[in-house]
Amino acid sequence: MVATVLKNEIQNALNNDNLTGALGRFGEAYVPAREKAYEGKDFEKLRAEIAQIKASAAENMEALAQQFTAQAEKNGAKVFRAKTGQEAKEYIAKLITEHKVKTVIKSKSMASEEIHLNEYLLKNTDVAEVAETDLGEWIIQLCGQRPSHMVMPAIHMTRGEVAEIFSKETKQQLEPDIAKLVKVARENLRQKFLKAEMGISGANIAVAETGTLVMCTNEGNGRLTTTVPPIHVVLVGLEKLVAKFSDVGPILEALPRSATAQKLTTYVTMMSGPTPAIDLEGNIVEQKEMHIVLLDNGRTEMRDDPIFKQALQCIRCASCLNVCPVFQKVGGHVYGDIYTGGIGTILTAFLNSFDKAGELQNLCLRCERCKSFCPGKIDLPALITELRRRTVKKDGLPLGQKLILEKVLANRKLFHSLLRTASVAQKPFVKGNTIRHLPLFLSGLTEGRSLPAIAEKPLRDRVGHSVPKGKVKAKVAYFAGCLGDFVYPEQGEAAYKVLNKMGMEVIFPIEQTCCGIPASQMGAPEVAVKLAKQNIEALEKENVDYIISLCPTCVEVLKHHYLDHFKDDPAWLARAEKMSAKMIDFASFVAKHGQELKFNQLAQKVTYHDSCHMKRALGVWQEPRQLLNRAGVTITEMKGCDDCCGFGGSYSIKMPEISMAILNKKLDNIEETGVSVVALDCPGCKMQIAGGLDAQGKKVKVKHTAELLAEAIKE
Amino acid sequence: MTAVQGKAEKSHNETTGAALYDKFKVSAEMLSAEVHRAGNLEEARQLVTQLIKELGAKKVVYAPSELVDALDMKALGQAAGVVMTAENLRQNAADAELGISQLDYAIAEIGTLAGNANSIESRMVSILPPIHMAIVKTANILPNLLEAIATYNQKLGELPRYLTFVSGPSRTSDIERVLTIGVHGPGRLIIVFID
Ligand code: SF4
Repeated sequence: MVATVLKNEIQNALNNDNLTGALGRFGEAYVPAREKAYEGKDFEKLRAEIAQIKASAAENMEALAQQFTAQAEKNGAKVFRAKTGQEAKEYIAKLITEHKVKTVIKSKSMASEEIHLNEYLLKNTDVAEVAETDLGEWIIQLCGQRPSHMVMPAIHMTRGEVAEIFSKETKQQLEPDIAKLVKVARENLRQKFLKAEMGISGANIAVAETGTLVMCTNEGNGRLTTTVPPIHVVLVGLEKLVAKFSDVGPILEALPRSATAQKLTTYVTMMSGPTPAIDLEGNIVEQKEMHIVLLDNGRTEMRDDPIFKQALQCIRCASCLNVCPVFQKVGGHVYGDIYTGGIGTILTAFLNSFDKAGELQNLCLRCERCKSFCPGKIDLPALITELRRRTVKKDGLPLGQKLILEKVLANRKLFHSLLRTASVAQKPFVKGNTIRHLPLFLSGLTEGRSLPAIAEKPLRDRVGHSVPKGKVKAKVAYFAGCLGDFVYPEQGEAAYKVLNKMGMEVIFPIEQTCCGIPASQMGAPEVAVKLAKQNIEALEKENVDYIISLCPTCVEVLKHHYLDHFKDDPAWLARAEKMSAKMIDFASFVAKHGQELKFNQLAQKVTYHDSCHMKRALGVWQEPRQLLNRAGVTITEMKGCDDCCGFGGSYSIKMPEISMAILNKKLDNIEETGVSVVALDCPGCKMQIAGGLDAQGKKVKVKHTAELLAEAIKE
Repeated sequence: MTAVQGKAEKSHNETTGAALYDKFKVSAEMLSAEVHRAGNLEEARQLVTQLIKELGAKKVVYAPSELVDALDMKALGQAAGVVMTAENLRQNAADAELGISQLDYAIAEIGTLAGNANSIESRMVSILPPIHMAIVKTANILPNLLEAIATYNQKLGELPRYLTFVSGPSRTSDIERVLTIGVHGPGRLIIVFID
């Protein structure tokens, strides 16, 4: 049920040109603007500091909440601890009733959205209006929508739509002119500010040491909300607590830079207790009423979770949304709840519904881009995988997946013989060396993209133990990966050629099998561990100096994930560590040990596609470019060279529409460069991009760096 | 040395001071703030009078404070020919064209002003009128945000109840990410430094 709803929403979003256009343009502009805002700052150092501040605050959440309460009360505020959203709403409703408040103004607060505060107040008190005053929030309030983004709630709307909404509200025909629309908002909301008896706001940081609330806004509505009305209510989640006033510094250095690429928001307000106000008659009220509602609503539970507590390091900058290729295509409403994007999926699980979040995690492509941008240093992809694992543990895997994972993937011989059979069975569908249309249940796979055929003879049958001419410099094991073994054996042969030329003895450990990533991603870590053991055993037997792979994901898995699999198993951990130390990607290995290689100059013009796991997980992007240059290749960089191609392993099967939408953008960027070859370092990306080009009838070739180097190498 | 120049300034290295001012001016102007500087109080009076005249304002509101009082707003209002008031601000600030208040620090790196805004007057005059004029001591320019936080952190017991940071005029990009200046707050921020 939920799944079909999600599918429909995805389809609607993808068909909404306004949405994808606006989000795409913003996504492109965001990265360089952010970069500029961080100029001269050490982002890595800054985020390490923030992660530490926030992690320790989460650890001491209860103590800090008590300290904050005592301090804020000393300053003259009233603090209410709300265990649930319901408690918070009841408390605020009671205040409204007691003070006979008729008009409430609100400045942006995600916590109030989270608990659906407005709805409740309108239904359960005599309040006539709860007016959102942030422009974006007001727009969506007027048309009865949800925010689609934490920082820019109305990013999905066009000026035309806003003009329509405002025309309806003001009962006059308004043009879609942004400056004029903003003015209309100013005039309309100004009246509300001046007659409001209560202001409700959120806060970005709450300092336990001083009882201070820090609030960042751009429009000035936050200052009006906290200044004009004689009663001020602040609704703030426990995750906003930090221990010390000085902790505010690093967070403020990063939050606006990451959120909107500003060095600081126009207004930052730090409130430590109630100040004077003016009542409606114009009399000065020496000390206004200030109520602080500290909201738990699942946050303590999150803190108590050994894995998910990391999500409390979030400072709500939304940069994980801004850089997410999926978000850029489908926007926030597909996430179906208040918090959207990657972090939204996690927050939804704890603050709203675990089941819903379990479904949403399917939207994540695992391109890892968010991880490198997050100022809270949260490993979002890992948290999403964990969510997947728990969903599977709870609901079990769908039967088909269970069968493939447990019966096929975990049984190397069966898996490999099935692949061989497939190479025969696919024959009727193969044209050239690609499959244009797959029958029946697999047809979604080939829409807009053809698949490569499974090779007649896998790499393992083509190469084996290969000794270089002359002196052996080192012994190398070749880890093929499934695609490299059964689909693209020619890449492996190319790599063998280069490695031999470098003086490397190359061994193909015959018992090697799938690295295990599909199993981990599908939420079956037991299968992944089983495969890890098989691979470690297979590789240990050969007693080599290095282990090379052409697939960055395989490298990442063997080098890093295996250590994680065995962190509670010292014996296997030691073996995994030994192997991890030998594991290296092809490009880095050649760059390091292939200094003496001689190349004929290829004189080809290519563009280079950075694979997500190559660039972000392994941090390798310069090496392949240098090697290609050495081989005489001129690289014309494309727009968004490190944007994901939309492959994401089984993602392209599970979410074919989104995968294709992301791929199409990549293909456009490739076409713009006018080159005839795309170079890359990942067989998965090759499958996706080559398939897309083929389906569009494009002549552009896709080659692994190893293939280009092998072509250029001097015999 | 005039009365407004504090002790802190004496130890303030002249060249660093000038460099900080220049840096502040550049960063604040990038945020569409307008930055002026007066060599002393007398110059400041002339400058502010002239600015008010240029704005063509009819009603100006202000928030009393050390520097603002030193400028003598009543006299200034007469010289500029405007109604000048600090009273009944719920109404007066809402229809004044200009609000004048003092802020305590300027932050060179990011073009931000910071200061104590506990008084209701200072908040009303800086947020309701379409133009805000902030008066700041040139000697109080700090290099960066962390210095500003550290400065307040040194005297946590005296932390203002309402501490405000202002970077340029009010702005939004909520519709199609198009930057628009002057939403709920002022559309212009004029900063006058006094040496
Ligand atoms: S998870 Fe990280 S990137 Fe995403 S909103 Fe939170 S702090 Fe920002």
